[in-house]
Amino acid sequence: MDEVDEARRAPHRVVITGLGVVTSIGIGVPEFLAGLRSGRSAVKPITAFDTAGFAYSNGCGIEDFDPADWIKTVDPQELGRAAQFSVAAARMAAADAGLAPADLRDRRVLVSVGTTDGESRDLDELIERQLAEGPEALDPVVARRATAGLLSASVVRELELVDAEAVTIPTACAAGNYAIGSGYDAIRAGEVEVVLAGGADAICRKTFTGFYRLGTIAPEVCQPFDRDRKGILTGEGAGILLMESLESALRRGARIYAEVLGYGLNCDAHHPVAPDRDSLARCIELAHRNAGVEPGQVDFISAHGTGTKANDVTEAGAIRQVFAEPPPTVSVKGMLGHTMGAASALASAACALAITEGFIPPTVNHRETDEECGLDPVPNHARTADVRVVQNNALAFGGNNAVLILGRYGPE
Amino acid sequence: MTTAAPATTGAGPVGAAGDELVLTAWSAVTPFGLDRAEFGAGVLAGRTAVGELDREQYPGPYARAGLVPGFSAAEALGRKGTRTMDRVTALAVTAVDRLIAECGPGLLERPERVGLVLGTGHGSVQSIMDFTRDSLTGEKPYHVDPARFPNTVMNRAAGQSAIWHGIKGPNSTIAGGRLTGLLALNYAARLHRGGHCDQVICGAAEEYSVQRAWLEWAGGTGAEELGEGGTVVLLESAAGAAAAGRRPLARLLGVRFRAHQGPGTAGAALTACVRAALERAGRSAEEVRLVAPLGGDEEWDAVVEALGGAAPRRLDCRPLTGDTAAAATSLQLAAVLASVERGELSEGQLALVTGTDRDGQVGCAVLGV
Repeated sequence: MDEVDEARRAPHRVVITGLGVVTSIGIGVPEFLAGLRSGRSAVKPITAFDTAGFAYSNGCGIEDFDPADWIKTVDPQELGRAAQFSVAAARMAAADAGLAPADLRDRRVLVSVGTTDGESRDLDELIERQLAEGPEALDPVVARRATAGLLSASVVRELELVDAEAVTIPTACAAGNYAIGSGYDAIRAGEVEVVLAGGADAICRKTFTGFYRLGTIAPEVCQPFDRDRKGILTGEGAGILLMESLESALRRGARIYAEVLGYGLNCDAHHPVAPDRDSLARCIELAHRNAGVEPGQVDFISAHGTGTKANDVTEAGAIRQVFAEPPPTVSVKGMLGHTMGAASALASAACALAITEGFIPPTVNHRETDEECGLDPVPNHARTADVRVVQNNALAFGGNNAVLILGRYGPE
Repeated sequence: MTTAAPATTGAGPVGAAGDELVLTAWSAVTPFGLDRAEFGAGVLAGRTAVGELDREQYPGPYARAGLVPGFSAAEALGRKGTRTMDRVTALAVTAVDRLIAECGPGLLERPERVGLVLGTGHGSVQSIMDFTRDSLTGEKPYHVDPARFPNTVMNRAAGQSAIWHGIKGPNSTIAGGRLTGLLALNYAARLHRGGHCDQVICGAAEEYSVQRAWLEWAGGTGAEELGEGGTVVLLESAAGAAAAGRRPLARLLGVRFRAHQGPGTAGAALTACVRAALERAGRSAEEVRLVAPLGGDEEWDAVVEALGGAAPRRLDCRPLTGDTAAAATSLQLAAVLASVERGELSEGQLALVTGTDRDGQVGCAVLGV
């Protein structure tokens, strides 16, 4: 059975039929969904590394993740923590879509995983050992697994796929949307039949320290769009979406969470870390045009919303530039922390669930909305809503913007 | 040409779908030198560029490596803006710089329609591990240089190349072990077919550093000498190239990947992969006259098997430059383009770039003249 058409054939519609989520507010769709609905937060002191000497070190780590529960084929010790997350989430997404690994083996599959740090947590551990015992003492197993490519390649190994392409997309904190977007293009053009796409990252000293030094780590909690917001909390996890063509989903009677309507990418080409309002506004417009939607059709925006002073005011400014009347604009980072390369993938999963379940997830830890942001952040409590079109923003270091548009699939 | 708004929801961008993709320019910053002509001359002559390391500057497990001669960020790009630029970023920025210089400023007439896709192994492991080292050894764990934090994020080289040259289209970083270059090429082709840009500058960069050397040594990739380099190609539609007056060097007829289950199965996977790529391109094995493989004889035998015993010319890079890891398959592509420029392939003939990665994947690109 060769489902793959030539690229020049009519484009396929692309739908999401499976979700895999490893998060600090819940592992697996039911727990994650319950967390989103109830505004769960998992803030606690970071235990991933020794935080002595930092004045504060809260984060959103995952403490109840046992890789052996999820990873069956590959030896989990051969994987860094980020790859363990991505493999677990990919297994979940396939199962959630009703596809056994054997079902995937005769299909042409693209695995596309975004990340900020790859296995930097392993690199932290390696340099610590190197400082203590010299470079000759570097652990060969850890040195071997500390590479970004394994975040996607390990999914192929775990599922024992055959006709597969594994690509990791380390476009920092927007990487999840990049990975999903590329997967959308591949199905749309008939290049592949199934895509497992998303993002994964693990909390590490390196990134916590960098953000801390920049003064962008919040002492206690992450408060996107709040007047008193003080920054990000580093988080971890993975979100993987299983995508396929609409024909494929309908043929096998799969549950459809949402349709991917399109996405837009651009680059500020201006500053290594500071976001650019005009450039982000152009990226939002690009996404709308590519998805064929008007601003007025967007029911809510899942913002990048990191909770830093600069991000939230810049992002809100860009949104107000494009939307005469901005829709509710939320950030799930209040609940999940900033899960880096997983962030926009987990937000996409949240958007897909919001469409299916008819609600808008809340922005938690919210006291008073910053007037300068001027948005409705759906404070603290989820809101029941008829959600047809959602916009998911992502921004990254390097001036990289990625905006994804999801829509409800169904007879209108 | 613009991406016109489609009439129906979910129709996606209107791009150049169906239009043939061509490669029209390339640059290569390699152990042979900063100039692609030096790379071409060296690789086509089978000359090695691996040399003795300055052991004071580069202590570590290796005595020899393929370094870009005399290369530093300040030397290649000037002092301004390079104080904190790490080596892999400088290699990437320089490769992009040389490609743009050759194409002329017209290439960036509409900078928002030019994409940049850059492959990396794990960014600069030297930058990442140095940063953590400073956190571990300083008086306070946050006594680190904030200006160097962005170097520890893997999209630094792509982002900085965009900033340096004002490239405002999609800016993506790709990683996939030693197949990174082929994966970046396929990602770039997909991006173009999806209508997200009109031209894509696409390639990969890898630096030699003491820390990378220790990791490669500890990870057990063997006693092989390491190399470094940065190379990019310009990918665009045939129609776009014609409109801009750029002559196609080669047509991109397909990129294909396949999984393998470890040593012993990689050969069969690559044979199947090459066959599938040729079949999808609608071309026959006899047309293949040049192959640039990543690996050794096992890989070569698998390719020859796929070609039904035909014996194309074999063009090796890795023994000449050292193992350039994430940049390896990009360098192989550059070697093919060097051969084409020298007129070694005639119209209708094909070249392959192939690779086998230890992490379970094989890949192949089909190029036509």
